[in-house]
Amino acid sequence: MSRHIAVWAAGLVCLVIAGQAAAEPYLATYAGFKCSQCHVNPTGGGMRNTFGNSWAQTQLAATRIGPEDELWTGVVNRFLAVGGNARAEGTWTRIPHEHDANAFDVQEARLYLEASVIPSRLSFYVDELVAPGNADNREANIRFWVQEGNLYVKAGRMYLPFGWRLEDDNAFVRQLSGINMQTPDSGVEVGLERPNWTLQLAVSNGSGGAPENDNGKQVTGRAEYVQTHWRIGASAAFNDSDAGDRTAGALFAGLRLGPTVWLGEVDYVEDDSLDNRDSVAALAELNWFVRKGHVLKLTHEWLDPDRDVDEDEQTRSSFVYEWWPVQFLETRVGVRLYDGIPQNNMQNRTEAFAQLHAYF
Amino acid sequence: MMEMFGTRIHACAPLVLCAGAALAGCAGNGEGLDASGRPVGEGGGGTPPPPSTQASFQQIQDTIFTPICTACHAGAAAPLGLRLDAGNSYALLVNVPSVEAPAILRVTPGDPDNSYLVQKIEGSASVGARMPLGGPPLPQSSIDLVRAWIAEGAPAPAGASGTADVFRVVTTIPAADAQVVAPVEALHVIFNADVDATLVGAAGIRIEASGGDGVFDNGNEVRVPLADVRVSAVNPRMLTVRPVAPLSGDRFRLVLGASAGIALADVGAHVLDGDADGRAGGEFSVTLDTVPERAP
Repeated sequence: MSRHIAVWAAGLVCLVIAGQAAAEPYLATYAGFKCSQCHVNPTGGGMRNTFGNSWAQTQLAATRIGPEDELWTGVVNRFLAVGGNARAEGTWTRIPHEHDANAFDVQEARLYLEASVIPSRLSFYVDELVAPGNADNREANIRFWVQEGNLYVKAGRMYLPFGWRLEDDNAFVRQLSGINMQTPDSGVEVGLERPNWTLQLAVSNGSGGAPENDNGKQVTGRAEYVQTHWRIGASAAFNDSDAGDRTAGALFAGLRLGPTVWLGEVDYVEDDSLDNRDSVAALAELNWFVRKGHVLKLTHEWLDPDRDVDEDEQTRSSFVYEWWPVQFLETRVGVRLYDGIPQNNMQNRTEAFAQLHAYF
Repeated sequence: MMEMFGTRIHACAPLVLCAGAALAGCAGNGEGLDASGRPVGEGGGGTPPPPSTQASFQQIQDTIFTPICTACHAGAAAPLGLRLDAGNSYALLVNVPSVEAPAILRVTPGDPDNSYLVQKIEGSASVGARMPLGGPPLPQSSIDLVRAWIAEGAPAPAGASGTADVFRVVTTIPAADAQVVAPVEALHVIFNADVDATLVGAAGIRIEASGGDGVFDNGNEVRVPLADVRVSAVNPRMLTVRPVAPLSGDRFRLVLGASAGIALADVGAHVLDGDADGRAGGEFSVTLDTVPERAP
């Protein structure tokens, strides 16, 4: 009894102090899974399903606390499941010609709820950001599997399918595409799940999460071919907006070689609302599974914000160590080195961070 | 084994492409660029203006919005529709309700504490994380600059021409096809350039009710008497249309058309591109549904 209270208390404490909707495609590539293997959302991120929770407890963490036969699954009953994510971090930032800054922050805390009113077929899903600040809805959608585990229709507020669903919204590829976990949109998504394929097509307002302000819509598509040790995918998005049309494309791939996972993505954006500006961003990431529960992550990113302008490119290099000491708890320490034009101090900053991440 | 080796080679091809693009890329040396990474002389910000005792919007644009915020808040996919590039920022900030917290304006002239922009960059907003997202907080001197500008009434950029090549609607409040809790006291339209206030009275601006069936253009529309149509004194890119009686109990349509050959235009005499075809002319219309206020 006391153990249960302690587990709940620890979960609540972590939730209060810490979160960002977790999405870690390198874990999927390492394990050879599709996103839908571990997440209730077939496009990944957010709430984990029973398998995802079990995998996190038995395969991911360095050490497991508690009886082997006692697993948290998030399932309250056959029709209802809950989940959450929370991240708290301390950061130190050095900006050239300015004073160093450091701060503790609650990055995000989220709660998930899924009501499966017809199990495996019809569900209602909510992703609510509960901190920082007041509650703010990020996803609220209805998902109906026309064919169980095969073809679904989703309608409501959702994250759009595009490229790698990275946890880091500030990655250049996520920042440039404008499709990340800060910009849910309202619309309809149709998805097809095949043994080695996952396909999604979404039509949404294309207003960056704001209420619709024109008659144009955004069409976003994503296709991924998944094999045990590698995967490859492509995405495209077209936003018909009064402000100007915006076209984005992405190629992404992942490869497992022994204890390492390599991820790569290249994004191209043409934005008429910015004087037909063409931009390119690229990401290369190495994840080395040092041993169970320990991962060293090296990432290099490159951004050309305007292909017609020379010498405006930026890079970001990250060195991050991730450690899952016990189930449902992750710690991350890392350094990010920004390199950009010398005239812009922010583009040449250095950040170091330590983060505590709880999830269930 | 050979087959597995072969498939890995195939997988490597795009990966090598991605990795190569990222790894081969270096940062630019900034030659010929301003602080925003734009060519010097292009305009639109980047070169810090000379010190001034009065906070100006142009300073904020040049030192905060363009070099920092437009990394995300630009273009057709700008988060929450907030575009902070030089051509749109003022019109989408001043007297415009926040999307995250609609009860508060993004910039309330004269009242920095009740401006959502200030709350977001100070980290005291009721919803979401502090801006810039994922980056260090703005220096206090930058926050003070924004506060001072708002405290001084959030004046428009000095010397701004207020015109655009194509004069068009940026957004409306309430948004198009919105369901709004009745009663609706006023409708606001945000343009991409300063509205010529002298044309507002004569131009064909009207609100119509559907006549109870929710359908327009079937002959039973009812014209709603207007009490006031005016351009904001603080934000010359915002037009406010106020009916005599608050809107409720029907579907409504705001139309910006022409009357007796007179249409809305900006201060540079560019006629409104109402139908968004890239050329001047055409009617702009937006509809909204009113829903009854819920009982407490």
